[in-house]
Amino acid sequence: MKRGFLLALLLFAALYVVAEATRERPKSDGVVRLRWATDANPARTRQTALFAQKIPGLAVTVDPGLGNDQTKLIVQCATGTGPDIIDLYDEQQMSSLIEAGVLVDLTPYAKTMGFGPDRTFPAVQGALGRGGRQYRFPCNVWANCVVYNKAVFDDHGVPYPKPGWTWDEFVATAKRIRDTSSKSGQTHLPVANWLNLWFYQDPLIGRGGRYFTPDGLVSLADSPESIAAMRFYHDLMHVHKVVPTPAEAAAMSSQGGWGSQGINWFSSGKAAMIVIGRWYIVQVPNYPNLKGKLGAVVLPRVPGRPSSGVTGTRAAGINVKSPRRAEALRFLQYLADPDYGRLIVQDGDALPPNPNLARSGQDLANEIIPDPAFHQPFVDAMKTARPADVSAFIDSGLAARWLQERIEKVENRLLTPEAAMRSLAAEINAQIRLNLERRPDLQRRYEQVTGRRYTPDWWRNYQAQRWAGF
Amino acid sequence: MTVIAPAAGARVRRRGVPWLRLIVLCVVGLSVSLPFVWMVSASFKPRREVDEVRIVPRDPTTRNYPVVLNRLPDPGTNKKLDLRFGRWYFNSVFVAVGVTVLQVLTSAMAAYAFARMRWPGRDTVFLLYLATMMIPGVVTMIPNFQIMVSLGFLNTYHGLIVPAAFSAFGTFLLRQFLLSIPPALDEAATIDGASHATIFWDVVMPLARPGLVALAIITFLGTYQSFFWPLILLNEDQLYPMSVGLLALDSTYGRQTELIMAASVMNVVPLIVIFAVFQKFLVKGLQLGGVKG
Repeated sequence: MKRGFLLALLLFAALYVVAEATRERPKSDGVVRLRWATDANPARTRQTALFAQKIPGLAVTVDPGLGNDQTKLIVQCATGTGPDIIDLYDEQQMSSLIEAGVLVDLTPYAKTMGFGPDRTFPAVQGALGRGGRQYRFPCNVWANCVVYNKAVFDDHGVPYPKPGWTWDEFVATAKRIRDTSSKSGQTHLPVANWLNLWFYQDPLIGRGGRYFTPDGLVSLADSPESIAAMRFYHDLMHVHKVVPTPAEAAAMSSQGGWGSQGINWFSSGKAAMIVIGRWYIVQVPNYPNLKGKLGAVVLPRVPGRPSSGVTGTRAAGINVKSPRRAEALRFLQYLADPDYGRLIVQDGDALPPNPNLARSGQDLANEIIPDPAFHQPFVDAMKTARPADVSAFIDSGLAARWLQERIEKVENRLLTPEAAMRSLAAEINAQIRLNLERRPDLQRRYEQVTGRRYTPDWWRNYQAQRWAGF
Repeated sequence: MTVIAPAAGARVRRRGVPWLRLIVLCVVGLSVSLPFVWMVSASFKPRREVDEVRIVPRDPTTRNYPVVLNRLPDPGTNKKLDLRFGRWYFNSVFVAVGVTVLQVLTSAMAAYAFARMRWPGRDTVFLLYLATMMIPGVVTMIPNFQIMVSLGFLNTYHGLIVPAAFSAFGTFLLRQFLLSIPPALDEAATIDGASHATIFWDVVMPLARPGLVALAIITFLGTYQSFFWPLILLNEDQLYPMSVGLLALDSTYGRQTELIMAASVMNVVPLIVIFAVFQKFLVKGLQLGGVKG
């Protein structure tokens, strides 16, 4: 027995020696290496290589996380060992990290170093910070369009969608795909659902709706626009039956979750349309059958209003505890550089941060999809798109989680859209009142935004004003 | 007659039961093995087929394996994937071996102290030790990580190995096992002048072999598949185990399911071999360890 353990320990020691001996050590070449918390996207290899090439003496290595799961970031930042540069996928995530004191206020550096909000699309400028302070700069920018597979439309003899179409026409088109037999004999899914949130968010913004009142004190989840948007998503699934329900999706799926399945279905030529950003095309080389068959059109509109939907940005902020802040700022400067933007255009990873590189479809044409007509709708979408608004009075991640829970209940018919959105508004508003009661900093913010002294019964006064036409 | 009739009925039931049991076991066995069968099947499918529910590929290909191993370019992009598959494989095996050896050793020593030695407060300490198993891992994640930071273990192999080298579960499992070994053996050895070290190595450990092997298998399997701790502890891809390295195939460039499955098939081979060779010990060890309280 002793011998067995001794042999095992010797084997372990030998493996240890091999592991350490074959490990590549950082070169002592004087190069400062930054850590960038982002996803393990192969495009990062080219982006980091270009950074090292453009700024001698600096290099950046990717520290991959688990998509939107923040656990790694939270654990590392809580122990003061977080990455130098942090990719923030939405405003909610940014707000949470600002609250936690993790992000550097970039305002003093941004203008002089050339990565101020004015260096990117006007639609996302407000989403780069909070309270007039800037906390991040875009790595890329996106707005949704409807991407469609021309081969599927041709197979069913259905004309391609045209700009200016309405959501009713979207439903009618989807129904025609569903109801018309194809020449090939194959059946196709009319609409592949990738992110269920967008089927609520895009029609909400298209109707001119908001999540919160402009001062952030009251949830507008129960507003007519919001309820109509949720009702629309419900009807797509359960009345018009053009989007699969979660149960149908699970039955059709051979692999795992519903989330990525919509993209896979569309990419495999099994679906006619998908609501998605230009970043989708980074996957197109993986599916040679899609070559030359993709079209894109701006989101449908609500009658009487222009086409509009949600926009967002994957944007980089800097860890307040980074010992290499000056070098990390150079990285943000690099993100505003046209050479970096051109890389984004070539890879198709959404839109470049610099709007001058995306003024037309011609600017965005690349090897993946050389047809400028495909890219033009994404340029047009950025003109009217708006980011989802957040409130300073509630943790945005919490509000987003509650919204997601309601969406799932509506999908599964556990709640009507009306009941779901009313209960959501009630829950968020109760939390805002609780937060204000507990936190003096929020009470001060209340006084700033309302110009009135905070009192524990502010809610009643506020309601009275709201009904008086706030 | 009244005596024989029930006996005949019992014989009929006995005949029927094995068939029923077989059917139930087949259904359970099939449902358990189906994901594995699907994984193997998907690893031989081209990308366009991977979403299809059918198990047998229409157009089977072995190309996914050399693509993962960086021998061939990805057919979609015509570029090699730049994965460090060999290194990740080695890391997974190396860390799992290290953790297994150390955890079995430390658990056996602790179990000996709790099962075979008498000292004041022994049972209370054991209960406290056991109570650590009730704390969810998420709660201890930040303190554990802080300890790694203080020790300078970030981005190191020992950061993966040392925290996992001690286990309350392993101690509990082996203590239960050691309690089933007659104490008279220790007493006889003590009368012969044996020290605790001698009793531990020459008397108790040989008799505890099934329990040690069971713990070794459980530990190896658990460590080999561990994901979250390596993910948060490591920042260099050359140190990743396979579980973390495979994230590169699931990015905004798309989920390359057929490649993930090819990598997963290669990844689970050591686990299957170990389980197949040692399953006899695993079952025996768990059974014996679970009997005596």
